[in-house]
Amino acid sequence: MSQFADSTTDFSAPAMVEGIAQVVKIEGKTAWLVPEQGSSCGSCASAAACGSKGVGTTASRLDNRRFRMDNNANLAVGERVVFGIRDNVLLKASIAAYVIPLATLVLAGSLAQWKFGSDLITMAVMIAGLVIGLWISRLEASRLHSKGDLAPLFLRRARPGETCSS
Amino acid sequence: MKEYLLLMFGAALVNNVILGRFLGLCPTMGVTTRLDAAVGMGMATTFVMTVAALAGWTVNTFLLAPFELGYLRTITFILIIASTVQFTEMVVKKVSPSLFQLLGIYLPLITTNCAVLGIALLLVDAKMSILTSVLFAIGSAMGFSLVLVIFAGLRERLAVMDVPRLFAGPPIAFIVVSLLALAFMGFSGMGAS
Repeated sequence: MSQFADSTTDFSAPAMVEGIAQVVKIEGKTAWLVPEQGSSCGSCASAAACGSKGVGTTASRLDNRRFRMDNNANLAVGERVVFGIRDNVLLKASIAAYVIPLATLVLAGSLAQWKFGSDLITMAVMIAGLVIGLWISRLEASRLHSKGDLAPLFLRRARPGETCSS
Repeated sequence: MKEYLLLMFGAALVNNVILGRFLGLCPTMGVTTRLDAAVGMGMATTFVMTVAALAGWTVNTFLLAPFELGYLRTITFILIIASTVQFTEMVVKKVSPSLFQLLGIYLPLITTNCAVLGIALLLVDAKMSILTSVLFAIGSAMGFSLVLVIFAGLRERLAVMDVPRLFAGPPIAFIVVSLLALAFMGFSGMGAS
């Protein structure tokens, strides 16, 4: 993403956000992976390898974010792979998870304030709006999931020593 | 309607939470190395800041103020923010495990974001109504997200620039963010008349 464009750059190709994950389990044609921590937290591979998986530790949090991917490349347990998600997927996911509930919260609150003019009623209606928004975002997330938009794609095997930030 | 828009505009640009109030500098430096991370963090912060403002207003109005427990405000709000982050994490995971895989990593970082606590405390001091509080929180969070995205774009360009060795990395990033702060100071002269 942060490289100079040259004459061979294909701007029509979908941009990818890349990440590195380790294969932890193979089930038939499905591989289960645990993502490595991003560069912002500084402790890339060491967090998953440190062995301390208590509640609230980085390792337990990464384990919690385990995901699956089609194993067409015959991956084996322990291998590190580079996976990608399309650049606009994060935006779509954020809109589904956060923008929809916030929009219903504000809309409901504005209507209640305009109609009743009472802070107490506005507060109750805002909470109801938030709940409705979360329900709508669940429907939207299911739609995105069924379209396969949220699925990570296998790009290649990670080079030895390759990290999230390299 | 006009005053609500001005309130949000003022919170986002004139009194920008990062460049005007100098809150939330940790995520500003930490998650702006990539544009996609900045977008994810900005959206998550917007959600948490708004829900925390709603919860904070409710607790302050119906619990802290009537029982004169104002001295517990800071610790109560820290608890509210931590609970809100946990609630958001649980809800996103429940709503869609796929979304949680994509967005979950940004949520725990918000618990220690002083911008969220700062805005919640500011709202109480300003004695705003609930709708005004929520809109102010959304405006502040939008300003926060805007700066994250602008700064991430600049840092992606900086990463491929030929920066002198002594300035490479965080030093040049701090210089750029200070220049951004100077640019945002230009908004402070704007009036509503």
